[in-house]
Amino acid sequence: MRTWILAGIATLALTGAAQAQTFGQGVAVGAPAPAFTAVDVNGKSVNLADYKGKTVVLEWTNNGCPFVRANYDSGAMQKTQAAAKDQGVVWLTILSSAPGTQGFLTADQAKADIAKEKASPTAYLLDPDGKVGKTYGAKTTPHMFVITPEQKIAYMGAIDDKATAKASDHPAAKNYVTAALQNLAGGKAPDPASTTPYGCSVKYAGQS
Amino acid sequence: MHRFLFAALSLAFFLAPAVRAEEANVSVQLVSEQARIAPGQTFTVALKQTIKPEWHTYWANPGDSGTPTAIEWKLPAGAKAADIQWPAPARIPYGPLVNYGYGDEAVLLIDITAPADLQPGSNFALHGDVQLLVCKDICIPEDATVSLNLPVDAKPQANASAAKLFADARTKLPSKSPFAARIATSGTMVRIAVDTGDARQLRDVTFFPVQPERIDNAAPQKISASASGLTIELKRAEGAKPDNAALEGVLTFKDESTGKDAAMRAIQFTAQPGMVAAASGGTSTLGFGEALLFALLGGLILNLMPCVFPVLSMKALSLARGAQGDAAHRRADALAYTAGVLATFTLIAGVLLALRAGGAEIGWGFQLQSPLVITALVYLLFAVGLVLSGVVSVGEGLAGMGSSLAARGGLVGSFFTGALATVVATPCTAPFMAGALGFALVQPTPIAIAVFEALGLGLALPYLLLGFVPALARVMPKPGAWMERFRQFLAFPVYATVVWLLFVLQAQSGPIATTSVLAGIVLIAFAAWAWDAAKYASTRGRMVGATVAIVAIGAALFLVRGVDDEAAATPTAAATASDTVKWQPFSQARLDALLAEGKPVFIDFTAAWCITCKVNETVALTSDVAREMEAKGVVPLRGDWTKRDAEITRVLQAHGRAGVPLYLYYKPGSREPVVLPQILTTESVRSLLQSS
Repeated sequence: MRTWILAGIATLALTGAAQAQTFGQGVAVGAPAPAFTAVDVNGKSVNLADYKGKTVVLEWTNNGCPFVRANYDSGAMQKTQAAAKDQGVVWLTILSSAPGTQGFLTADQAKADIAKEKASPTAYLLDPDGKVGKTYGAKTTPHMFVITPEQKIAYMGAIDDKATAKASDHPAAKNYVTAALQNLAGGKAPDPASTTPYGCSVKYAGQS
Repeated sequence: MHRFLFAALSLAFFLAPAVRAEEANVSVQLVSEQARIAPGQTFTVALKQTIKPEWHTYWANPGDSGTPTAIEWKLPAGAKAADIQWPAPARIPYGPLVNYGYGDEAVLLIDITAPADLQPGSNFALHGDVQLLVCKDICIPEDATVSLNLPVDAKPQANASAAKLFADARTKLPSKSPFAARIATSGTMVRIAVDTGDARQLRDVTFFPVQPERIDNAAPQKISASASGLTIELKRAEGAKPDNAALEGVLTFKDESTGKDAAMRAIQFTAQPGMVAAASGGTSTLGFGEALLFALLGGLILNLMPCVFPVLSMKALSLARGAQGDAAHRRADALAYTAGVLATFTLIAGVLLALRAGGAEIGWGFQLQSPLVITALVYLLFAVGLVLSGVVSVGEGLAGMGSSLAARGGLVGSFFTGALATVVATPCTAPFMAGALGFALVQPTPIAIAVFEALGLGLALPYLLLGFVPALARVMPKPGAWMERFRQFLAFPVYATVVWLLFVLQAQSGPIATTSVLAGIVLIAFAAWAWDAAKYASTRGRMVGATVAIVAIGAALFLVRGVDDEAAATPTAAATASDTVKWQPFSQARLDALLAEGKPVFIDFTAAWCITCKVNETVALTSDVAREMEAKGVVPLRGDWTKRDAEITRVLQAHGRAGVPLYLYYKPGSREPVVLPQILTTESVRSLLQSS
């Protein structure tokens, strides 16, 4: 067959796969939540897969960031956490600040910080090499993700609609995470399912 | 009138020790362009930010993090403040993140309209509460109050000392783009074309999206500059809707055609959804010389492709006849054939480029997407078949098949054989050809035409050689009685081509229109018979024969009315009987959804009129491949381009192609496809599927 001969002649180069770009690759609303394992402040290894069947909230934090401060100093973040946990939602606070950068805490410092803030995460995960943060494409603090019991991304973005570092703005703000959890509990998809996260950049290693 | 900025006192208590509340990182200053203002006047003020080295403030779209500066105005009743006019920003990389903002100094301009009832001699007071975020490795929100007190005067007066500040600030404001811009989204790739004209002297080109969350800020921007404009290749933001909505953006660049030390320029435009060709000059695309060479090779290989065969068989016959003729005639004949090929390529390319310039989203093979063209080809080829069969003998035949090989008739015949070969060749895409045509379609017209001409030259090359190299002509067999039988035999591939064209027509226009055209074929056969039967009759008999023939042909053309693109049935290339792979119809939305799930996807872009596609589907995409796909969970999608389809045209463009076939394979979890060759084998497809 002529075609077979032509197949030999045809030396069209295949387009190479694009360069590996791992930052937040494939994280989208409706897509499977990327698996991860991280160590919490008590030295316990926490695997996202352990929480299959439960709604999970991921919260990127940095206690030196004015936007995170505003959300904690006003008590808004603690309130959101407590309400979520009352509904049986798993709340994972994740710290991706690299050693030597703003917000970096050792396990003991982090424990003290939780106590000081009267925060109540299910677990506080330490991610100093930024692995989990980069997998999810966490850009800011606070950057929030809500994951369904089937471990798909249901919501990603800001904590609320007030992109400010002013504490007084947050208690009355429209809280996107609370709204997303309500919708999920009622069997509905969060709306909005995605917002622009605001805040400080996550202090990954290898920055200036 | 200088006011310095202070960090927010309310927050200072909670900030990390590194943050010194007493020392602002940005000082702000409000300056008016007018020293004295008139009642009702609209004038401009500048908010000048002086930023500490290494610290940054943010643009309207701050990028991956950050917050733009905001001003809350307190103005006298009736006064109005317009939105901030933002200077063009810079990219500020930050680990894996990229922000858009300003370092060292930023001057934001704001238009203020004073109320008309101001009294001359009074003062106009402006107050603004400025909130801004300034970041280095850490971020600090700072705020400040700025104010100005401007005397009101019947005669306004400019503030001479601020003239330079405002002039400089305005050079940094993006101007409204004089160039049209288009955006096309394909998978995770977003391409923006800006019709800047010759862009090859533009340096340091950077694109800034005005809307957040549309473009992956940190992804590298691939800029391609050509003689016709710029193409910017961007990555869609994670989580962004896979649609192709208009996108507003700012473009900064240096135009070195105005000198080596040209200043940075900035333009602002809204890219409208449209067609954007693959970036030229990139790794996967060709240069002009390569495109010409590939087109020539592609044209040469085209001679071996199945669609061209019937027409070439006629050419071969005329060559066999001409072999005994004199050398001068052979040369003239070869040149006439080449001229026919080239003229037709120029015509088709010209129409194609003109339609595209008019905004039509079409590619190579568009001629065959029209049922009217298909019908015309059916009639024409059927008539040629009748001539070959000997049903009708034409003295100076269209294809130079007549019994007399009179030089003039032979040359005209050769010219039209060339034209016919070109038209029938279009559904075949040969190796090398697709890349060359994909290149051609994004070039300025003269370059595009040159590539098409090279393709035509490749198609005509074997006959040119036969005409001009006597040694080759001598190898041709001696003419004799066998030629009559050979000529009659050649009618059959031509009839087969007619059957194939009817299949295409049926896919485009449905059974009713096809039946009309079949009836038209009968009428054409009748016309041929009437014409030939009366040939040796009296003058009156010949008149009757000719009249009957003309009426029959007229009736055949009348039937074409029924061929209507609009009434068309759903194209059936997506479900031919020989299918073994369970194809699902392609749509960009479906593809995006599958990729979001991380599924492997194989896409076949095909058309009923594309012979190369059909050969591949029969020879290579066999039940073995189907089993392999099922075993690996590969979702097979098929894009049918039998009729015009802008969405498919865009995908073809995005991969630098002008037409079908195109085969793409997305490995599991990958958003960048592997592009398969145009000629497939079962082995090549299977090994690709197995490799993942």
